[in-house]
Amino acid sequence: MNNEPERGIQRKLRKRLRVESFFKLLMAASTWLVLASLVLILAIILWKSLPALKLSMITRNPGSGYYLGREGGILNAILGSLQVVFGATLLALAIALPAVVFLTSYLRQKSWLAELIRFSLDVLWGIPSIVYGAFGFLIMITFHLRASLLAGMITVAMVELPILSRALEETIRLVPSDLKEATYSLGASRWQTATRVVLRQVFPGLVTAVLMAMGRGLGDAAAVLFTAGYTDKITTSLLQPVATLPLAIFFQLNSPFPEVQQRAYASAAILTVLVLFISLASRRLSRRLGRHKIS
Amino acid sequence: MNQTSRLRVENLNVFYGQNHVLKNISLSLPDNRITVIIGPSGCGKTTLLRSLNRLLDEQEGVRVEGRVFLDGQDIYQPGVDITLVRKRMGLLSQKPQVLPMSIYDNVAFGPRLLGLRDRRHLDDLVEKYLRLAGLWEEVKGRLQEPASRLSIGQQQRLCLARGLAVEPEVILGDEPTSALDPQSSRNVETQLLNLKENYTIVLVTHILRQARRLADYVAFLYFGELIEFGPASEVLISPRDSRTRAYITGEIS
Repeated sequence: MNNEPERGIQRKLRKRLRVESFFKLLMAASTWLVLASLVLILAIILWKSLPALKLSMITRNPGSGYYLGREGGILNAILGSLQVVFGATLLALAIALPAVVFLTSYLRQKSWLAELIRFSLDVLWGIPSIVYGAFGFLIMITFHLRASLLAGMITVAMVELPILSRALEETIRLVPSDLKEATYSLGASRWQTATRVVLRQVFPGLVTAVLMAMGRGLGDAAAVLFTAGYTDKITTSLLQPVATLPLAIFFQLNSPFPEVQQRAYASAAILTVLVLFISLASRRLSRRLGRHKIS
Repeated sequence: MNQTSRLRVENLNVFYGQNHVLKNISLSLPDNRITVIIGPSGCGKTTLLRSLNRLLDEQEGVRVEGRVFLDGQDIYQPGVDITLVRKRMGLLSQKPQVLPMSIYDNVAFGPRLLGLRDRRHLDDLVEKYLRLAGLWEEVKGRLQEPASRLSIGQQQRLCLARGLAVEPEVILGDEPTSALDPQSSRNVETQLLNLKENYTIVLVTHILRQARRLADYVAFLYFGELIEFGPASEVLISPRDSRTRAYITGEIS
């Protein structure tokens, strides 16, 4: 009889352990699902692209036969994507960096203007890229531009701008206010503090943010759909149309010919490898550049 | 008190929102002496210190009334170049804040802000101020290393050297030894004692023994009011106000 309450406690304990292990299992399963989906996507893309994956894919332009080529490669789209994304990232950075420095170093953090800017960036972030594409298309029409490298860059820059700005703001906001005060108390102005100390401190984060935005811009199809056009040659002028990898995949996959469809998967594999390479590079770089960073 | 004071506080009131944190403070900080501000935590010591070089301005929701004179000029007047004011006062914070660059660049930062580019001149300055802060012998072989690799005690002395390199007249210290081990604390204290000959030093501390070791003058703050100010021998040994006595004997903290 004396053991009755004791047994009750034992029972509760056991139940708690069961609940614990059940949810642990559930969480572990979700984690594995994330990993598995990554592996699965990579494996399927690789498997499907295997017949078309030859060195010529990345060293040559599309050859003759069908519209998108049954031989040759997609060098035009690889280079084109890089051209678009480099230009777009530079453009986006040229706007995001001053804006973010102004937002974080000059404005009172709770002022209506700062709140408004942050809110606008959040809204811009949420806008689907096809809308930017349509917007870019309107700009083109207004200025009598044809679908071109320049128009593609501008549109992709619009897609990257909120991503870049928000990522930059997050890293800059993490700079300890004591560090800024230490700089101010040496007689530095806000400008000097921002450029000589804050940007130095966040440089690794800045590189990561830029590469993240690049990765995003590289893979975006909707932004370039109306604005960049497509070509089977390498683009040499800002005003010529340019081929891009996402569109290469899109067009090739739409083709009724299996050979061309295989090339779509090969293009996808190449795009994935490029994005993967960028994220790896950003990890390594941010570690290497963090030498002077104070924690 | 036949002391000259280039730094003077007059009827200073500070509000954080609705909170009245400094109440009508008037105080003349004697030149070439160490003045130590003591008082229980939350009494406004740090706020008073930060009002002296207008770092309070950087905080949001702070209102400052009253005047702070530096060599007869009210630094709260509109139109005063705040960077020039700050340049004349070095600051040591509780936790040393080295800049994200090399040891050398940390010390050279201030002179470079003023436009000094000549490498040899900079080398001389860096050595001079690292010596003055008692750090030269320890770092002379690794000036190009990141400052963040120094021990925390060395970092605080680096901050001292960096502050001195701007050639201020006043040194402000906000519990500058609170993050340091006893040995490093002693080291920083020694440097401060050596420096008072040429600088006006204002220190905030909550360690009474440190106040006894360093202070020429003591200001006792209690709930935002300046209760007592005078030579250390008077305030720390025979205080006039009962609250000061209670604090010094450890009855209130």
